[in-house]
Amino acid sequence: MDTNPIPVTVLTGFLGSGKTTLLNRILSERHGRKLAVIENEFGEVGVDNQLVIQSEEELFEMNNGCICCSVRGDLIRILGRLLKRKDRLDGILIETTGLANPAPVAQTFFTDDEMRRNFRLDAIVTVVDAKHVASHLDSGDESVKQLAFADVILLNKTDLVAGAELDALESRIRGINAVATLQRTLNCDVPLDRVLDVGGFSLGRATEIDPKFLEPEYPFEWAGAYRLPAGTHDLVIGHGDGEAHDHDHGHADGHHHHHHGNENELDVVVMPVPSLDEAAIAAVRDSAVPVFSDRENRLEGGGRIIPGAALNRLHLSGGSGSFKLEVTEPGHFLVFEGCGEEPLHILSGGDTVRPSWQADFHAAHGHSEGVSSVGIQQAGELDGKLLNDWISGLLRTKGNDIYRMKGVLSVKGAARRLVFQGIHMLFDAKFDRDWGTEPRMNTLVFIGRNLDRAALNEAFRGCLSA
Amino acid sequence: MQLTKHWAGQLDDYVIDLAWSPDGSILAAASASGPVTLFSSGDGARRHELPGHEGGTNAVAWGPGGSVLATGGQDGAVKIWDAAAGQHVASASLGRSWVEHLAWRPGGGAPTLAAGAGRKLAYLNPDATVRLEFRDAPKTITALAWHPQGGCAAVAYFGGVCLWDGDDGGAQKEYPYGNGIHALAWSPDARWLVSGNQDPSVHLWMPERDVELQMSGYQTKVRHLSFDPSSRWLATSGGAEACIWDCSGDGPEGREPVMLAHVAPVCGVGFQRVHSLLATASEDGVVKLWSPERRQPMRATVGMPAAATRLAWSPDDRLLAIGSEKGFVYVLRCDP
Repeated sequence: MDTNPIPVTVLTGFLGSGKTTLLNRILSERHGRKLAVIENEFGEVGVDNQLVIQSEEELFEMNNGCICCSVRGDLIRILGRLLKRKDRLDGILIETTGLANPAPVAQTFFTDDEMRRNFRLDAIVTVVDAKHVASHLDSGDESVKQLAFADVILLNKTDLVAGAELDALESRIRGINAVATLQRTLNCDVPLDRVLDVGGFSLGRATEIDPKFLEPEYPFEWAGAYRLPAGTHDLVIGHGDGEAHDHDHGHADGHHHHHHGNENELDVVVMPVPSLDEAAIAAVRDSAVPVFSDRENRLEGGGRIIPGAALNRLHLSGGSGSFKLEVTEPGHFLVFEGCGEEPLHILSGGDTVRPSWQADFHAAHGHSEGVSSVGIQQAGELDGKLLNDWISGLLRTKGNDIYRMKGVLSVKGAARRLVFQGIHMLFDAKFDRDWGTEPRMNTLVFIGRNLDRAALNEAFRGCLSA
Repeated sequence: MQLTKHWAGQLDDYVIDLAWSPDGSILAAASASGPVTLFSSGDGARRHELPGHEGGTNAVAWGPGGSVLATGGQDGAVKIWDAAAGQHVASASLGRSWVEHLAWRPGGGAPTLAAGAGRKLAYLNPDATVRLEFRDAPKTITALAWHPQGGCAAVAYFGGVCLWDGDDGGAQKEYPYGNGIHALAWSPDARWLVSGNQDPSVHLWMPERDVELQMSGYQTKVRHLSFDPSSRWLATSGGAEACIWDCSGDGPEGREPVMLAHVAPVCGVGFQRVHSLLATASEDGVVKLWSPERRQPMRATVGMPAAATRLAWSPDDRLLAIGSEKGFVYVLRCDP
């Protein structure tokens, strides 16, 4: 028996995304690999020099039909037969239908002992059509999942979409899956080594995560600092009365027409900040996070906002409203807006006060997809038992919503790094190499539906060894 | 007990199936790449090499008289061969799916070959004409086993087992089972029908009393099943041990199985046809012989350079043929 597992690439994507183009390229290009392609039964690829097998997807449902515990019986049968060939294959490519959830395919290679021993799930590659992906994401669940599961995303047919729109798409895709490698392609013209044998499921590469995607998410989308004297000021929302738009911070992510929740409500928190230096702003920013989970004070137009750790839910009319801001001690104030799309102005004695500092935040909530990535990066050592209890409890209760997990952890008492990879309820963890002189930093990423960033962070911190 | 090498042969690829002719004079050995070799049982001489199937052969089965050999392959065909002449005589095409299961109906009467290809089941005549064609199974057929007297063919697929009448092809009975099935076996006395499952477990039905039992606790899916000739012992794979259930009386429920240890996962189990020795094979190339009812059950151990793919006892139980992943065919003589 050969001990080197054969890499398996799972190819997903909607009809018309260019998936077949990619498949044809892989089959016809001279890459020196002997591949077997397992197509769904509606497949249309037929190439002589490679092995193409058509297969009807047959799910073996485990545990009461739970989709994420199901395996693909047809793959077990077909791959079992392919193993009985002397001419060893260099790789397997499995095409799934646009509507198929890729989880059972992955599960097959995690749970079936024979498959696990002989094959290695290399990567899930998702091809999306740049022209249509936005409408697919708006209308359906399946394309969101396909992105969420992916290790490699090909944003294809880029010639059909303008550059700014592509940037917006890319950032929207990033909002769903922050860790996949993303390639822009024209006719799926990507070097094949970016698609085949890329090690997307390799534990060793679990942490090759671009740190910029580990930026925390916040429950607010915008914050601005204002220097205000004592007194009663006006806080005005919306393009009310012909004011200059001093705060018109449009986003580049292309979905500024999506209002989260009720468009006649806006959550605002106003907190004093001792100075405008970075550390002071960061401290107030962090202390504002839990405030957004507090019980809200509902304010009608004309209502009074008192600075402090309180969540004000402003009631607007036609997207506009005017409120009173009561300042007793003069100084700098940070104003946080739940939705950053609302123009916000502060008027003091009738004059617009310009913000002396402002920033947009990557909001944790509200993407219409409900699927996002949560990255956690923290130094320190974890208590092995607490970690185990947390992860197993989390997967038991939220496994359905967690599509992928990856991470490298520092466990107290262990000289080596603990690396892990997971898909739904299943995960694989092992100690790989010594930390050596490298700082013991914990990095983990969750991709899933309705992830509660604050809760995940808090639970994670609870596992740190005292 | 004496276990000696009788002869060895070599195929070009993985030995995917082995079958002794009814009189024991010929061993048919199919390679996963396609060719089927007919070896003389006396000295291992190659009598014929049949080309088999394009894309690979999957199964071989001797007709009841011993003059006809049926083969099924990746090309979707069933081929009938004249074994004495080494000639292809007829073919049936069952469609695009692989022909993975072949079994001749036991118990006399007009010879009938049951063939499973994808979701399709067909009963064929010895000239490869189709006698009966069935409605597609709900999922791919994964195992096929005739009732010992030939009254029906049991056909497994994900979701259950259906018993198709051997004469008129009517559905006699459907046994639902909510998981993947890899193997089926009838006890020789026909009291038990058993499936080996993905979940991993074995499931036993007792058709005459409408009783079902589920025996679980396996490490891995159960792909191999074998009953001893007395119908008491059921040998099963599913881990680094062969697990032997006592099926006498009301069956194995509540009884401790006999566990026969290997070091590597068990990849084959086979009881003799009339005697009671059990051969088991594991993926490290070890083949062991056992008398499961003895206090010291192990009788012999043989190490081979590659894992066994098939174990086949000759009709007189004196020869054990072992096919291997690397294409070797070993025939061992077993003297009491």
